[in-house]
Amino acid sequence: MREKALEEIRNASDLQALQELRVRYLGKKGEITQRLKSLAQLPPDERREAGKEINQLKTEIDTAIGERREAIEQAQLQARLERESLDVTLPGVGVPTGGLHLLTKVTNKLLDVFNSLGYEVVTGPELETDHYNFGALNFPDEHPARDEQDTFWTTDGRLLRTHTSPMQVRYMESRKPPFKVVVPGKVFRNEAVDATHEAQFHQLEALVVGERITMADLKGAIEEMATALFGEGTKTRLQPAYFPFVEPGAEFAIWWQHPRTGEYEWLELGGCGMVHPEVFKAVGYEGVTGFAFGFGIERLALIPYGIPDIRSFYASDLRALEQYRGEV
Amino acid sequence: MLVPYSWLQEFIAELPDVHELGDLLNGLGLAVEEVTEYPGAPAGTRVVRIEEISRIPESDHLWLATVSDGESTHQLVTGAPNTRAGLLTAFAPPGTYLPSLGVTVEAKEMAGVESQGMLLSPRELGVHEYAGGLIEFSADTALGTELSELWPGDTLIELELTPNRADAFSLLGVARDLAAKLDVPLRHPAAGLDQGDPSVEDGLRVDVQDRQGSGHFTLRRVDDLQVGPSPVWLQRKLSMLGLRPRNNVVDVTNLVTFELGQPSHAYDVRALGEDTIQVRRAREGERLVVLGGDELELQASDLVIATPALDGSRAIGLAGVMGGEHYSVEEDTTSVALEVAWFDPVSVRKTAKRHGQHTDAHYRFERGVDPALPPLASARAVQLLAQVAGGKPHPGISVAGGFSGRPPVRYRPERVHFLMDFDVEPTLQASYLERLGCKVVTVEEGVWEVTPPSWRFDMSIEEDVVEEVARLHGYEHIGETVPVMHFVPPATDATHRKLREQLAGLGFQEAISYVFTSRAELERSAAPPPVVELANPQGAEKSVLRTALYPGLLQAAALNRKRPGVALFEVGRIFLEEELERLALLVTGNWWTDTWQRGRQADFYLFKGLLESLARRRNATFELVPAQEPHLHPGISAQVLWNGEPVGSMGKLHPTVARSYELKDVYVAQLALPLEAGTIRYRDIPRQQYNERDLAIVAPRDVSYAALRELVSGAAGELLVSVEPFDVYEGAPIEEGRRSVALRLHFRHEERSLRDEEVDGFMESVVAAVREAGFTIRE
Repeated sequence: MREKALEEIRNASDLQALQELRVRYLGKKGEITQRLKSLAQLPPDERREAGKEINQLKTEIDTAIGERREAIEQAQLQARLERESLDVTLPGVGVPTGGLHLLTKVTNKLLDVFNSLGYEVVTGPELETDHYNFGALNFPDEHPARDEQDTFWTTDGRLLRTHTSPMQVRYMESRKPPFKVVVPGKVFRNEAVDATHEAQFHQLEALVVGERITMADLKGAIEEMATALFGEGTKTRLQPAYFPFVEPGAEFAIWWQHPRTGEYEWLELGGCGMVHPEVFKAVGYEGVTGFAFGFGIERLALIPYGIPDIRSFYASDLRALEQYRGEV
Repeated sequence: MLVPYSWLQEFIAELPDVHELGDLLNGLGLAVEEVTEYPGAPAGTRVVRIEEISRIPESDHLWLATVSDGESTHQLVTGAPNTRAGLLTAFAPPGTYLPSLGVTVEAKEMAGVESQGMLLSPRELGVHEYAGGLIEFSADTALGTELSELWPGDTLIELELTPNRADAFSLLGVARDLAAKLDVPLRHPAAGLDQGDPSVEDGLRVDVQDRQGSGHFTLRRVDDLQVGPSPVWLQRKLSMLGLRPRNNVVDVTNLVTFELGQPSHAYDVRALGEDTIQVRRAREGERLVVLGGDELELQASDLVIATPALDGSRAIGLAGVMGGEHYSVEEDTTSVALEVAWFDPVSVRKTAKRHGQHTDAHYRFERGVDPALPPLASARAVQLLAQVAGGKPHPGISVAGGFSGRPPVRYRPERVHFLMDFDVEPTLQASYLERLGCKVVTVEEGVWEVTPPSWRFDMSIEEDVVEEVARLHGYEHIGETVPVMHFVPPATDATHRKLREQLAGLGFQEAISYVFTSRAELERSAAPPPVVELANPQGAEKSVLRTALYPGLLQAAALNRKRPGVALFEVGRIFLEEELERLALLVTGNWWTDTWQRGRQADFYLFKGLLESLARRRNATFELVPAQEPHLHPGISAQVLWNGEPVGSMGKLHPTVARSYELKDVYVAQLALPLEAGTIRYRDIPRQQYNERDLAIVAPRDVSYAALRELVSGAAGELLVSVEPFDVYEGAPIEEGRRSVALRLHFRHEERSLRDEEVDGFMESVVAAVREAGFTIRE
């Protein structure tokens, strides 16, 4: 019987067949159970020997069934896993992919730099008055310096700000020095639009005022920004220039490795200088000095990525916008 | 401004090479825009005289000309309008290569006649863009001279000058700054010239009636002039600057404008009434035809040059802007009254602007011409008139007004260190300032009085003087330091960075549109009518400021309409009575795009779900209240309550608006910023399980879910923790006009588990309330 039972267990093809074998041999009316019951009819000295033998057989069958069960379950799991396999090379569901505009990303990177250098970030109105855009910034009335700003005027005598500098005045009117602040935002110039000129673009303006800020602090600040943006090895160059709201005034350029050509060259970025005493006078500051610098953001977005046309930033063609993915 | 290198050499003998010069100019704040090569006349071209001309019978515009270079004659065909016997002009014999045309001249037959070469216009010669006729040389030009020697090439340095540096808008001005920087002598073209003697009567009278308009006015008479072409050297100088040579008298005044920075004007003495020149304000409505033929209607604030006439006084020029058409130099002019004066910058600027007359003269006067310059520049001009036009300057000169000097600036040399953080020895500072033409006087220990030269308009405060010292010393001496400052910036998010990043994370692409738009565009998108209009727009389509943010996204969606789906957002400002910051969102087409599996169309509830997700992310409450907006579908539009506050609208774009953009189902929102985020509020995780009950209410279709929820919440008691709809059904067997809304209610007691009978009791109250309201329960 032993051989037969073990043979049948080995051959059981599924869990149900195995269960039937368990019932047949180990169930209440199973063959082993029957044999155990029949032990009572044997004489006591034979009974012990036979009992031991039957119990041994019972254990053996029980173990065999257990092992077989495990084998079947394992095989079933394997079969299921095979059944469930997918073609992982098919594409996933078409979940929408959002993203930030490149100009926002470049601005954010700049703001990160200035945040880390301890600057506050503020924004201000785009529709401005002559006073904030020109008068308080020491632009004389009827002076050619105003022409260079190519101003968009409104029919009610206001204007679209031509630079972010009006916020210098607005900020100073409501705060007390010392402070460090940057102002990102849109600015507007009424000049011929082409691949490198837009009527609407973005600037970032920095203003630092304290008890004794110097031109060396200004150059140091630009150098810190340049290093944060482009890494060690940059240089900063100041050259005399004129902006009515600074004196002395300068244009600044940064020595950088052009990301596309690999060549080191001067990147002319913007204007800067020491805050003009007339500007301090306009906001009622006394006994302080300060510096300001400002530059266009578009150039920092156009040049590194070889974007040929500034107008593409505002055209909202998704074929362009979708290329602004990844880190700047 | 263009600066020819060789011309600058006339001022400074030991001029550095062009490369070094560029660095020096940039370092002085005279920014070099571009350096280009001026070609000069091509090899092989030479000076000839037209000996005789005859019409070619087969042509109505061609001449057969015989020209002589002094040794041989050539016959050729030309169509130039100024062809005439006796004219000295440029000739290119066959075989001459003309780079400006990119051709080699060949002998050829034209209109049946053999043409042995070509007579050249300035453009063909490659020296100037003028192509309207042959170049004309003065009578003293030697026949046969190689033009490449007479008219050589040069290097042109183009400077982009800032408006404060009026003093540098001339060769003299640039040279003056360079000489100061290099500490070398400067050769002034007017130095030592006869300036005329004001005490000698010249028969001319000057009557300046407006001293504010012209504080310094000189008039000098030059007789016996022979008007004709200028000599080559003079034509070349003007041509290099891009100016077209006219005649020797006009060319001299132009040369002095660029050489010294002093505009001037020559009036034909014949045009003067009583030999008198007046400077006065115009009469309102007075008329003047200026050079070039424009007739201007003057205003009382325009400053004019005038002369006595039968009707009192007649304007003959617009002061500092342009001369009058019939009073200036003509071919037969022999005597001129040369006006060299200083005019008020603001007056000139307003007049030039008002009449749209932008000239080299106006450009200089509005920035500021050296008020002490007129006598010097007059001397230079009459010297040249004598040299190139045979003129005889009168020994006398009429002068009105003058210049008494600029006020001194109080200056402390230590301010250089204070502002620039580098040191310059006081003696060196004084040297810099004196080289720039300033007078330096020590008034007390450490305090100077610095008197700027007459040509500097931009030195009126101490900081200006610091800049001059720093400029000459060199900005390369500025160090790099970091200030120590006790300032802790507030951690605000002025640019809405987090919101933008959350929206991008949700699947929206950011766009940036123009703040300019058109009335028509606002109308088409059913946005509010414009409030702010531009006075000088770039075309009608950019003539007003946007009153809403979503139209920009509609234009973007229309541009991208071939895409299966578009989801955009923009953060920007709109211009109503106030300037306001807004967020606009737009979704159209597929939200999930089709792949090999079906995607998902955007619809109202998807759009709402996205905004609800945004609100949950910011821990803010988000509710919609039905509300109408002109641009939205009247039945699918709502006011947005963010943390209970109305912040804007969202809904489905009105089909009429959508159609005008050739779009189908579009969902838009426009919300006020900032969309405040809530703070984190932690509550213990509930220990007790909830008890769940379902209930389907059948109510008229126009009873909102919000109303049903309120009804149920109000009746279910305090232990109700949530109500969520899980099915909304219309159709048989439910009666037309009604719908079934199935709700799942959760009840929980924080301390203990609820018994079924208790919950049954709550549900009975709910059912009673529903029936009370006139609705039924769907079994």
